[in-house]
Amino acid sequence: MQPAPPKEPARPAVIAPGHTHASITDKITSIVLRRHTPRGWFVGFGIAFALVMVLLTSITMLLLKGTGIWGLNVPVGWGFAIINFVWWIGIGHAGTLISAILLLFRQDWRTSINRFAEAMTLFAVACAGVFPLLHVGRPWLAYWLVPYPNTMALWPQFRSPLLWDVFAVSTYATVSAMFWYVGLIPDFATLRDGAKSKVFRVIYGMLALGWRGAARHWERYETAYLLLAGLATPLVVSVHTVVSLDFAVSVIPGWHATIFPPYFVAGAIYSGFAMVMTLAIPLRKVYGLQDFITMRHLQNMAKVILATGLIVAYGYTMEAFFAWYSANDYERGMAWNRMVGPYAPFYWALIVSNVIVPQFLWLKKVRSSVVALFVICLVVNVGMWLERFVIVVTSLSRDFLPSSWDTYSGTIWDWSLFIGTMGLFAALLFLFIRFLPMISIFEMRTLVPGGEAAPHDKDADAAPVDGAGPEEQA
Amino acid sequence: MSATTPLAHNLERLQRTAFRVGGGAAVLCLVGLFVDRDQFFRSWLIGFLFWLAPALGSLAIVMLHNMTGGAWGFTIKRLLEAAMRTLPALAALALPILLGIGSLYEWSHADVVANDEILQRKEAYLNVPFFIVRTVLYFAIWIFLARKLIRLAERYDRTLNPKALRRIGFLSGFGLVLYFLTMSFASFDWGMSLEPHWFSTIYGVHFIIGQGLSTLCLAVIVCSRLVRHDPFSRWIEKSHFHDLGNLMLAFVMLWAYISFSQFLIVWSGNLPEETPYYLTRTQNGWQVMALVLVVCHFAAPFFILLSRRNKRTATTLARLATVLFLLRFVDYVWLIAPSFHHGEMHLSWLDVAAPVAIGGIWIGLFTRNLRGRPLISLHGKLLKQLEEAPQS
Repeated sequence: MQPAPPKEPARPAVIAPGHTHASITDKITSIVLRRHTPRGWFVGFGIAFALVMVLLTSITMLLLKGTGIWGLNVPVGWGFAIINFVWWIGIGHAGTLISAILLLFRQDWRTSINRFAEAMTLFAVACAGVFPLLHVGRPWLAYWLVPYPNTMALWPQFRSPLLWDVFAVSTYATVSAMFWYVGLIPDFATLRDGAKSKVFRVIYGMLALGWRGAARHWERYETAYLLLAGLATPLVVSVHTVVSLDFAVSVIPGWHATIFPPYFVAGAIYSGFAMVMTLAIPLRKVYGLQDFITMRHLQNMAKVILATGLIVAYGYTMEAFFAWYSANDYERGMAWNRMVGPYAPFYWALIVSNVIVPQFLWLKKVRSSVVALFVICLVVNVGMWLERFVIVVTSLSRDFLPSSWDTYSGTIWDWSLFIGTMGLFAALLFLFIRFLPMISIFEMRTLVPGGEAAPHDKDADAAPVDGAGPEEQA
Repeated sequence: MSATTPLAHNLERLQRTAFRVGGGAAVLCLVGLFVDRDQFFRSWLIGFLFWLAPALGSLAIVMLHNMTGGAWGFTIKRLLEAAMRTLPALAALALPILLGIGSLYEWSHADVVANDEILQRKEAYLNVPFFIVRTVLYFAIWIFLARKLIRLAERYDRTLNPKALRRIGFLSGFGLVLYFLTMSFASFDWGMSLEPHWFSTIYGVHFIIGQGLSTLCLAVIVCSRLVRHDPFSRWIEKSHFHDLGNLMLAFVMLWAYISFSQFLIVWSGNLPEETPYYLTRTQNGWQVMALVLVVCHFAAPFFILLSRRNKRTATTLARLATVLFLLRFVDYVWLIAPSFHHGEMHLSWLDVAAPVAIGGIWIGLFTRNLRGRPLISLHGKLLKQLEEAPQS
């Protein structure tokens, strides 16, 4: 009996033992290719679709009546639209991090969660995009945001991060979509080969771009995928940095803080991982994917959530300390106003849900309990929305002139638009689950012994799932 | 290892030279203390911060590695521990800062505070007794963490007891939280409060990243030397340098990211409380340093570290690490020195003597610690297995 290698004791495998290439392919493709759609899917999709109708109604009302139907007022010119935009775009970041950065760091546990995390990214970006587009007031003129030589001889303000947002978010959406699609090509071919219906065979066949699994195909595929990962990596940081600059370049107390860029990026990853968990936990249960999305995945994601949550907590601490240390009336007033002003309940709810509740993740017992993880992730999702609410609303509602102070709350149309985008997100996810393989089939195949990529093999014959090693502790 | 190996001989010689040079420079500093008291303390502060970085950064990187794992860490752990063990000595070397509070920190003068409303409002934090208490507390926490981690690591090496491993993990997690907080506040105390009106919420992170970078550079430099000698040439592989190079690249980028975003935010805000910080640092000759930092601390290493071959060649990487390590000094000078001289750029001979004195002592102690214990954290068989295990 050899002693275990140092610090690398037997870890739970990233795929449960006993799987073969065929069993993986069957398990994942059967979700897409089997004829009968479970009733639960119809119910879920039905609800989501109804919410999409709510979204369309809200947009129609907005276009008919104008942004006056929202709760915006004079000091608070940025309300739900920017809060929801930041919330959604933040959620997307986990997908990119999982697919690109964890790939470059050779973290093989990313394999079973990257596909739907990337899908989540795309759908979240789509939901996020709705808000600034509508908030410009006349969405049909939104192309004015793009710099192009025009007869009005007008250019956008290049010094404004709002313009950088246009570039950052559109690049992000493009690269994420490409990354996702390229990753899907080999699986499209698998689906094409397995599809019974001619229509699906043709559709998947076209999407597979003539993939035959030739050595040359794989070689080019690997190169393209790595290049895209390299391209996507800076986007994990850049998009939310630009979003944070939307606030930080101003001189509004509570917005103008040099810590904003890294703190926003950490917050984005934090909320994104919470959303991945929120989706992964029910998915693996409903579709019986516990063999693929194992406890090891959930535990690793819990650790990422704990780490990024601590960075976010560091951000709150610094904000509060420097509000005092600045010795500036407005900075101190802003912090005080957050803690005891009209929005104090939101602030303290945010502290509880983003700082206090995630601390339970220090305990291995909590990290091993699916229910506890699910609850914590839901709390974090809410907490991150509250964070953006607190940042946007408390700073604006009480600005430099007390005579112009006012309170803000979302109207029914603010809420219906927000809930509508959740419906859009859910509806797209339901369609994705039904028509595309939610776990990368060919990458999962590399995890079983004898898979193509040799470095992965080591983990496949590691200890069973419940044999968590000591390194999982704390 | 026996005293006859060339490595032991080299280390011994290095230790002797370092102590001699450090001692000589320390004597010069003592002269400086009487010739130009204020300048002595200012230069000492810069030298101290520069050499604190690899010691404290080692603590942070060891704790980080305990949390994340990865092959790169096992090869450098022992040498990082050797750096961590210099922390008590650095606590002693911090004494001049406490003695020089009056020379260094404007807020310590009652008459200045009496005429400055902003300083009055900060007095609860910026006052001499609390400053001293905080400095003592920081070092107490760091030394406690370092000692405890080293002792637990030794116990694990001896017994391979998983319980020790669990405690290491637990301590590292909490230790990292403590390190982030203490180092942030330490940077506010030692660095930011030199210009007591100015503040930036990212300041602490800037220091923390700088310490990480110093540590990685040190690790690469030492490894590139060790790899020439027998047992290490078999254990330290190209892939380890590759991993360390990647980490260096990450820290170089983080450094640039933090520095640039701070600059951009201050520039666009254009507030009278904040812009003086950059105005003094981009005029009267200081801008040369800023430019050197942009080009040599970011642009050049960034492109050099993108190349896979450069990262896998020990000598190239070590040369770059040496340059970057020295550039960390330029960064500290640029951060600290302009707050004393609002006019012309001013450098004194003490700006060289003080860091050389502290550096000589530090390198001497570090080498002594390296010699004191085996340089590989586990016996050969385990290490061999590690080598064969998949990376990260």
